Amino acid sequence: MQIQLQQLQPVYLEQEKLVGSEIWNTQQFFESGSLVEIVAASGRGKSSFIHFLYGLRNDYQGKISLEGVAPDAFNYKQTALLRSKKLSIVFQDLKLFESATCLQNILVKNALTGFSSTDAIEAMAERLGVRNKLAAMAGNCSYGERQRIAIIRALQQPFEFLLLDEPFSHLDEMNREKALDLILEETKKQNAGIVLADLETNPSFPATKRLKL
Amino acid sequence: MASYKDIAPFIDTGRNRGSRIFGYTGLGIGTLLLLSCLQFYLDINQLIKEKSLRKDGFDFISVTREITNENMGKDNRLTLANLQEIKSAPGVEDAAPLISNQFRAKVSAGNVIPFSTDIFLEAINNNFLDTLPPGFIWQEGQNNIPIILSSEFLEMYNIFAPTQGLPQISGESAASLNVQLECFTITGVEGFRAHIVGLSDRINSVLVPENFLIWANKKFGQSENAPFSRIYIKTRDANNPNLLQFLDKKDYHVNKERTRFGRIKQVLQGIIAGLGLFAILVIALAILLFAFYLQLLISRSRDNLRLIVTLGYEPGWVGKQVSKRWVPAYGIIVLIALSGAQILHSIFRTSVHSGMDRMSFPISIYTFALGLIIFCVCAVINSYLLRKELRRL
Repeated sequence: MQIQLQQLQPVYLEQEKLVGSEIWNTQQFFESGSLVEIVAASGRGKSSFIHFLYGLRNDYQGKISLEGVAPDAFNYKQTALLRSKKLSIVFQDLKLFESATCLQNILVKNALTGFSSTDAIEAMAERLGVRNKLAAMAGNCSYGERQRIAIIRALQQPFEFLLLDEPFSHLDEMNREKALDLILEETKKQNAGIVLADLETNPSFPATKRLKL
Repeated sequence: MASYKDIAPFIDTGRNRGSRIFGYTGLGIGTLLLLSCLQFYLDINQLIKEKSLRKDGFDFISVTREITNENMGKDNRLTLANLQEIKSAPGVEDAAPLISNQFRAKVSAGNVIPFSTDIFLEAINNNFLDTLPPGFIWQEGQNNIPIILSSEFLEMYNIFAPTQGLPQISGESAASLNVQLECFTITGVEGFRAHIVGLSDRINSVLVPENFLIWANKKFGQSENAPFSRIYIKTRDANNPNLLQFLDKKDYHVNKERTRFGRIKQVLQGIIAGLGLFAILVIALAILLFAFYLQLLISRSRDNLRLIVTLGYEPGWVGKQVSKRWVPAYGIIVLIALSGAQILHSIFRTSVHSGMDRMSFPISIYTFALGLIIFCVCAVINSYLLRKELRRL
């Protein structure tokens, strides 16, 4: 999948915040398999940009095209297909079912795609240090634990691009490395690309393109 | 492939059980009422159809003018225009006038039964006779006139005969009686020999062959094409409410006994239609209650449902899976209602002893079909509402 941006800018963002941006109001092209890191301070529209790509919001000017089609132009079926086969995401606010267990949160995605075995899911949880949290209610876990559950959930599907919105914000250095390693490994397996939005540059992320928002 | 159980933990269906049970009960009562209405309608139709006197699948009813205080004393006989009007009435297959003698006629039974009386003679197209004996024919020049007598007349004769010192006679012996028939003209009298060739249960009259009466009216009477006092209708259903309504509207008088069931049918149809409408209203209210319940369910699980869709589930699929949860409940409700209709039908069937063998034991296929339609309507409306609500997320 290729992502193309043409003069994209949120309709609500103040003009002064657009100045100097390498995304807003520019032409960008993320080729398939590229690792894109987008860095910006809070309030510059990182989450908005990720939501635009995922088709959750359409309050923007300019054009986004995923293989030639704007994400908000897809019908319900096409959107569902896009989100279960081509685009995966880790939301900044995680979007977990708080009153369900961590395992149920992961399985709800895996049931849709049939992508991983339970053993593989448990192995990932083990690797990220949250295996003992699988049976716990998501709402009772720490933000860092929930962040790792959200990452595991995002990896339970085939994808061509993985959208990450500050995915390591509540992880310590060691867990951040572990999570990034898992993400890079799974992405490589699928020959996919990543769009990582973060507050600061992550030196461990082998970006092929770094852009300031 | 994902199934409902994968998304079930995120959909709150547990609470508000009361309103759901209330909805189910309403749907059950409405369905039972509607199915029973249809079944009763079919049962009553079956009973009424079988009760009427029929021949070759047709009913024959006589029509005269209604005699009221206003029109009494006037000529209330029927004309050819009336005949045409009746022929065009709803449900009428054919109609024929009962023509009568336009001259004075008198019968006497000779020496065996010392009895003589003035009499009226009538004739009708042979197709309208319930019995047509082979001897009921007449040709010009023939002195022997065959007669078909109303069996009720014979019965009446046998009632008063003993008090008058006359012998009672059976239907068989009536055929062997030789009767003298005298036709009076202005200039004189012409005598014929007449004999009874059959008895009619349908037409209360003294019937002679039609061609004889036409000839006799021409020869002895003053007017050839005189109006007639009765018209017989040939119809598939003497209880056809449209036909009865037409005849009432035009002030025609019909044989009450023959059409009694039609009047009952009219009233019952009204009651059943009213009950049916009420049942439809109850079902509609139950469906409305379900719609509210679904809206409540979706609004309570709104965030979770929105997240499910965000994760890549298609709203239509989710709607289908959730609505499928109601299908067994709808199925059970309709089955219970069908069983209830069967029980009521069985009670009705056994309570109407005379009609028991005319009604089948199982309920009608139409009642089953209506049950199936109600089930499908509920399932489709349910699914549609859910999908609509989910796409609004």
